[in-house]
Amino acid sequence: MGIRMKENEWKVNHLIFGFSVGAIASYMLLSSSFVSSESVYMLIIFNFFFVSLTFPLDGTLTRKLSMLLIGNIIGLFWNYLFSLFAYTVAYYLGEFFNTLYIILSPLVNLIWIVSFWSISLTALANSKDKKLGLRFDN
Amino acid sequence: MITEILETLFLILTALMIAYLIRHYIFTLTVLKNHQKRKESVTVGNVTYQPTVSILIPARNEEKVIGRILQRMTELTYPKEKLQILVIDDASTDNTEEIAKQYSRTYGYIKVIRRNEKEGGRGKASALNAGFKNANGEIVFCFDADYYPQRDILEKLTKEFADPKVGAVQGRVTVLNEPQNIVTRLVTLERIGGYRVDQQARDSLGLITQLGGTVAGLRRDLLESLGRWDESILAEDTDITFRVYLAGYKIRYVNEAECYEEAVESWRAYWKQRYRWAKGHMQCAFKHSLKVLKSSNLRFREKVDGLLLLNVYFMPILALLSWIISVPLFFLKPPPWFGIFWVSIPISIYSFVGNFAPFFEVGIGAYLDGRTRAQWLIPLLIFTFLYNIPICTKALIDLLISKIFRRNGNHWAKTVHSGNGNSYIMS
Repeated sequence: MGIRMKENEWKVNHLIFGFSVGAIASYMLLSSSFVSSESVYMLIIFNFFFVSLTFPLDGTLTRKLSMLLIGNIIGLFWNYLFSLFAYTVAYYLGEFFNTLYIILSPLVNLIWIVSFWSISLTALANSKDKKLGLRFDN
Repeated sequence: MITEILETLFLILTALMIAYLIRHYIFTLTVLKNHQKRKESVTVGNVTYQPTVSILIPARNEEKVIGRILQRMTELTYPKEKLQILVIDDASTDNTEEIAKQYSRTYGYIKVIRRNEKEGGRGKASALNAGFKNANGEIVFCFDADYYPQRDILEKLTKEFADPKVGAVQGRVTVLNEPQNIVTRLVTLERIGGYRVDQQARDSLGLITQLGGTVAGLRRDLLESLGRWDESILAEDTDITFRVYLAGYKIRYVNEAECYEEAVESWRAYWKQRYRWAKGHMQCAFKHSLKVLKSSNLRFREKVDGLLLLNVYFMPILALLSWIISVPLFFLKPPPWFGIFWVSIPISIYSFVGNFAPFFEVGIGAYLDGRTRAQWLIPLLIFTFLYNIPICTKALIDLLISKIFRRNGNHWAKTVHSGNGNSYIMS
């Protein structure tokens, strides 16, 4: 877990390890009867994107795996809470809200994926933040 | 019957979106994998290749920014005896001409070309062609008046022309007034994704590197043989990109050659600029798609990338259409494969808006630039994407109307520059 590598190196072993963990997590989600199919698909997509685009970056494998785990937990909770909210509101507002929910649910799911991924990138970026990317005299 | 038609249409649209998704994903991985590799300088013998250069600066009512770029031109490290600066004052009604002439009087290599009311105001391509008539450099560069280049930008860009197969070169565009407001911040993210990742990957993979309308240089002879800039096209940069490739030349992108622009500062200005880009790009799609397919000068991968690039501004409209179709499909009779496509729609739509929105491209670009805080705004890019749907739809409708009724619907909506970028140079 505490593999140390040179900075800025394409971390193939992190990638392989990440994909293996992502595949296992996806299989467990697919086998589970407690998670809706839409949520499972969304989490599989998240795992794929997250592993392939953040595991090759700088940072320890432990940190990346922790973030992958947190991402899956957030995704599950997000979907669970959002579907509970939708069922409750649909009960009072009827079919109209149900339609709205179906149309918007993929977009709403995207919000947590993109936000979580952005935050994860920030956490992985070890370089000092450049407030403005201006290099006039380079 | 209706269900089958909807299903087929939905599948085609989704397949298109996934094609763009995969394209941008490959771009991102390519840049991520190659970002350590440093390019070696291209030299002839032991001397860096330094041809004579003409820089065209079209300017229409640019009094707030023209002095800034001309001052910078005098500070360039490129040998002045090989440099010619041509300011094309495109019938300005403000002090643009006077400011440019002040520089012209002091620096012999700066020349001002005045276009009167009758000649001017016909768009950038027309102004560039007017400047080109007076250009005598082997390489002709174009810089917009609101830009502010690095001192050694010409050395970085011109060295690529040592390779005779290179017909044109493009530098990186970075936003100068990023902290100004939310619009400039989001445009900054789009620029990071578009240049740091998209253009860089296309260059690395030997695909279609796109010339922007600025920070771009072309061989003078090539430009002459191509018939200069096409004044009937609003996106003269995309048009010339494809003409260069169709003529059998390549375009190189130099990420290290940075130039700073004053980004649009309001949603209204954003609309005008993107509308012009969208309409111009669609004009290019109609003009070049078939030529790209038939060309013997392009490899298969260049043809595929070229077609995807040409048609990218149609995609926000098609994304909206796919979403509209998917709703009745969902209620009529969702096919078994529907679930996975349904959830993939937003990721796809979020990814295919070409140069300016794929979130993972922007994120990786910002990461490689060390722009940690900029990454926090990535989720807000969804608003620029949604905003692009009506922009592209209106551009397409207007273009079709002008084609059907054979009207010249080209109106060059000039981006107004406030000069606010000056404060970031001074600080």
